[in-house]
Amino acid sequence: MMIRNSPTRVRVGAISAVAALALGLSACGSESDSSAATTSDPDEVTGDITLLTPIFEGTEGQKLLEDELLPQFYEEYPNVSVSVDYTTYGNLNEKLTTAAVSGAVPDVMLMGVGWIEGFADRGLIADLSELGLTEEKLLESYTPAIVDAGTWNDGVYAVPIMLDTRFGVARMDLLEEAGYDSPPQNWDELVEMSKALTVRDSDGTLERAGFDMLSLDSRQAFETMLFSAGGDLFNEDDTAPTFNEDPGVDALQLMSDLINVHEVEEIGFSSPDAAVNPLLNGRAAMGIAHNNLWTQGLEAAPEVLDDLEPFVIQGEGEGMFFGGTLATRSATSQSPEAAQAFLEFLASPGPALAANEQRGNVPALSELLDSEYVQSNGFVQFAMENLDVAKREGGPAEWLEVRGDFAPAVEATLLDQMSAEDSLNDLAGLVQTAIDR
Amino acid sequence: MALTTPRTTQNPPLAAVVGKTPPRQHRPNARSRNKVILNVALALGSLTMVIPFIWMIFTSVESPAELAQFPPTFFPQEWHWSNYSEALDAAPFDVYFRNSFIIATGHTLITLVLGSMAGYSLARIRFRGREIVFISLVAMLMIPTYTKIVPQFLIVKFMPLFGGNDILGQGGTGWLNTWWALLIPGGLSATSIFLFRQFYLSLPKELEEAARLDGLSEFRIFAQIYTPLIKPAIATVGLLTFQESWNNFLWPLLVTTSDELRVIQVGLAVFQQLDNTSWHYLMAGTTLATVPMVLLFVFAQKYFIQGFTNAGIK
Repeated sequence: MMIRNSPTRVRVGAISAVAALALGLSACGSESDSSAATTSDPDEVTGDITLLTPIFEGTEGQKLLEDELLPQFYEEYPNVSVSVDYTTYGNLNEKLTTAAVSGAVPDVMLMGVGWIEGFADRGLIADLSELGLTEEKLLESYTPAIVDAGTWNDGVYAVPIMLDTRFGVARMDLLEEAGYDSPPQNWDELVEMSKALTVRDSDGTLERAGFDMLSLDSRQAFETMLFSAGGDLFNEDDTAPTFNEDPGVDALQLMSDLINVHEVEEIGFSSPDAAVNPLLNGRAAMGIAHNNLWTQGLEAAPEVLDDLEPFVIQGEGEGMFFGGTLATRSATSQSPEAAQAFLEFLASPGPALAANEQRGNVPALSELLDSEYVQSNGFVQFAMENLDVAKREGGPAEWLEVRGDFAPAVEATLLDQMSAEDSLNDLAGLVQTAIDR
Repeated sequence: MALTTPRTTQNPPLAAVVGKTPPRQHRPNARSRNKVILNVALALGSLTMVIPFIWMIFTSVESPAELAQFPPTFFPQEWHWSNYSEALDAAPFDVYFRNSFIIATGHTLITLVLGSMAGYSLARIRFRGREIVFISLVAMLMIPTYTKIVPQFLIVKFMPLFGGNDILGQGGTGWLNTWWALLIPGGLSATSIFLFRQFYLSLPKELEEAARLDGLSEFRIFAQIYTPLIKPAIATVGLLTFQESWNNFLWPLLVTTSDELRVIQVGLAVFQQLDNTSWHYLMAGTTLATVPMVLLFVFAQKYFIQGFTNAGIK
């Protein structure tokens, strides 16, 4: 894609070199691996497989996949051919649903965190450990929470490629102006600093939000605050919601108070569709942000990057959220070994690093922390360094069915139409009904 | 209001009755005042319609840094025309434009030919079950598009004797990833048939009777007598169909896997990632994508407006 122009081309070249090196390393490493796909003679792995992907889109992404990564894969697996179906995350669910009902399921599918359980539960995706990709093996390369995102009922159904993270971000130049030398360390400080950093004009019109929570999806904002309160979405075995217990109520109450009592932000001040994140143009002093704010800053306001400081929103727990993209294999694939070989290739260090850099995302593989890309992107580096405290959404197989109910419930409280407790209890009732159905 | 006071022989103008010179300036003044008010109201309405379009064009030439400014600028400080070339390089837009054009033209032709025939038959030919067919068509207007996607997809996938399928529709991919899937399922809509019916109903029955006396067949009455009289309808339905087809996104994405069959809206989606939108490129691509629709409207606006007036569409 021309979006990043020539610097990206230089980086892609560098990535190719890293990818080649990483492939070599992973090939060396694979000698001791138990994966069927990697222990088989690659020449014996054959098949025409299909890939459904919401990443690698656009000219730049397609070039990366088709001109750089696939030739590397074909070099190792000369008897496998891959045809690619590009889609968008916004319509991935429809693509997967129509594929599932018609029986034309792609051999390899990339999908989001929280999606795996539902597709595994319906028997649409295969247990990767059948061909050697066990949980123990994944734990050697990924943090437990990330591995957990791809498991279901003791089986491994997905392997992570990239992560999206949300955490707190502070504009240190604005904090220092107000006399603060570090981001808030707890909720009390968060409230106090947010109030102090909020700026209104003489008419009372909000000019600068002390703490922005409206530039990202309200479900994900709530989840980040829930994790900060030490809460979880569901119980251990994912059979009942727990987000309506005390930590969840406290988290949503804090969000509501910040808007309705402390007035550090107003509904409508920003939105996930805003042309620019208010942290970049100084309309917010702190906020919850996605890691790609760094990439946006590089394009729109490189001068503020030094002033952007990421922080885990500290409460009774650590407020950091992760989603991401994982690779899965169809349970009905006619060429399971070829599909698994390709899936493992995409998740290996070189291709995964290249895919992450193309989108400005966070590599899931712990070993990539030292890569040049990660070290050059302050937010990606921060995210990787703190992945051990990050929590994800999802859990029960019905997650995709119920996740759309979160935003209206959260927004009802932010709009001061319902108490936090009532909103979450009503939502928990809906979720429990879906789980029990 | 004085302007609407009836002037009859029984009710002479007040000035004549009282023997004074009538205030001749009164009516023209009021008329021009009303005209000014009307024009101001229309200008405001037009401005409301046009400003988002102008904003789109201005945004398409702004830099990310300018877009990040607050308060936002309306006029670009610098005109980055390179946004257009860079946006076009972000996806194979030449192929996407071609495909969108083929699909929109195909849908428009199918609709104009078959839709007008169906509308004519529902309006002017008496046959058993005509009302039920018409009510069914009206009922179809109420079905949300999303609910039809999976059944339509299954029909396309299991189309017999296509894409390696046997006579029972098994074993292959049917129409998936072919032009058939792009052209046939959306080729004809209940809305267009309904509109055509309404237009044909508005024409006088005498024309038909005269044509029959002259010995014209039903098809010639349809093609040579009635259809030439509904040019506004043809322009209206044609433009609406073309526009709907041109903007179609989900269906082409679902039934194709090859880039060679993807459409312009799929290309524009490249600029809208899950948590980041490249507004300058998106607006540049959208500006280019609207050009065919604007041109079509310019050439067909006379009939289009007539059609809307006749059909009472808002």
